[in-house]
Amino acid sequence: MRASTESSARPHAIWHATLQGAREGIPLLGGYIPVSLSFGLVATQAGFTTFEAAAISLLIYAGASQFLFVGMIATGAPLWLVVALTLLINARHLVYGPNLAALLPRSRHWLWLMHGLTDQVFALALTRLPALDPARRFGWFLGCALMAWAVWVVGTVVGAVAGEAVTAYWPLLGEIMPFALPALFLAMTAPRFVDLRWSLALLATIIASLALTLIGASNVAIPLGAACGALCFYAVRFSARRRA
Amino acid sequence: MSIELWIAVALSALGTLLIRVAPFLWMQRRLDQSDGPTPLPEWLAILGPLMIAAVLGVSIVPVNPNATSWLATALGLFATVLVWRRTRSLGWPVAAGVAVFGITVLSASLIA
Repeated sequence: MRASTESSARPHAIWHATLQGAREGIPLLGGYIPVSLSFGLVATQAGFTTFEAAAISLLIYAGASQFLFVGMIATGAPLWLVVALTLLINARHLVYGPNLAALLPRSRHWLWLMHGLTDQVFALALTRLPALDPARRFGWFLGCALMAWAVWVVGTVVGAVAGEAVTAYWPLLGEIMPFALPALFLAMTAPRFVDLRWSLALLATIIASLALTLIGASNVAIPLGAACGALCFYAVRFSARRRA
Repeated sequence: MSIELWIAVALSALGTLLIRVAPFLWMQRRLDQSDGPTPLPEWLAILGPLMIAAVLGVSIVPVNPNATSWLATALGLFATVLVWRRTRSLGWPVAAGVAVFGITVLSASLIA
């Protein structure tokens, strides 16, 4: 079933759905706040002003590639290479939109609102949208994406202005809060362990991406990990067919 | 920042936005043009859940990897699964996982 247009929903219904999206996106902040604080701090240490750090978070809005961006600029890398590598890291987002296309209504607002489609927002949306009434999905995505985006920018500003003081005052903040992300993604992944084929593919993905991160290849861990899982998924089907 | 640097920011921002929005709009257009079942290719539909699993794998690595944080991670993930099996929700498993992780880390720092 395709989702209806967002204009068919009444304003107060969209408002409620927006609040619901913002509320359900709160666990994402456990990862967003410490990382955005760190980015603000790193950016100012690399010579960027608070305004410039905030502009990068507002406009690029992609964690790993933002760190790469300021790091490469600080080392004097050619600008074309900085832009190329930033886009290469973000290329994994290419598969996110098509997976959500059937779940979301038609709207001209997607042209700017899809800017909020991060790894975490995608994961939460793919899990939650099918369970929502189609009329509530636009509002839900609006609330979740805008709340996460706003917190990311505010966190960058706080990190740039007072990052060292915040991390010195609450030394465990940056260590405990980020655990909300693996806990959330585990709760999202758990329902997918429906049979042996999916279980093996998911485990292969988790182990591969974990291993790649441990060896320092976190920038390619998501697409390569998912590719390993997909290979496992198809390999299991072919093995089952051969036995039959 | 120099003008060249602002242009680099603008190009990175525009490229990232296009990477996110163009495939989405392309697929919605395909959906509008097809009368039958969803034209989402099977491999793409499989990649969606696997991408979430990959984000899980990446995020499992603790901020400061050491014996304590790995133990806290294992206990936190175990608590998350236990509460998820009981509630089948998203909020309570996350709260339980973070609580167990935090208690383990704080306990270890107090003992040390």
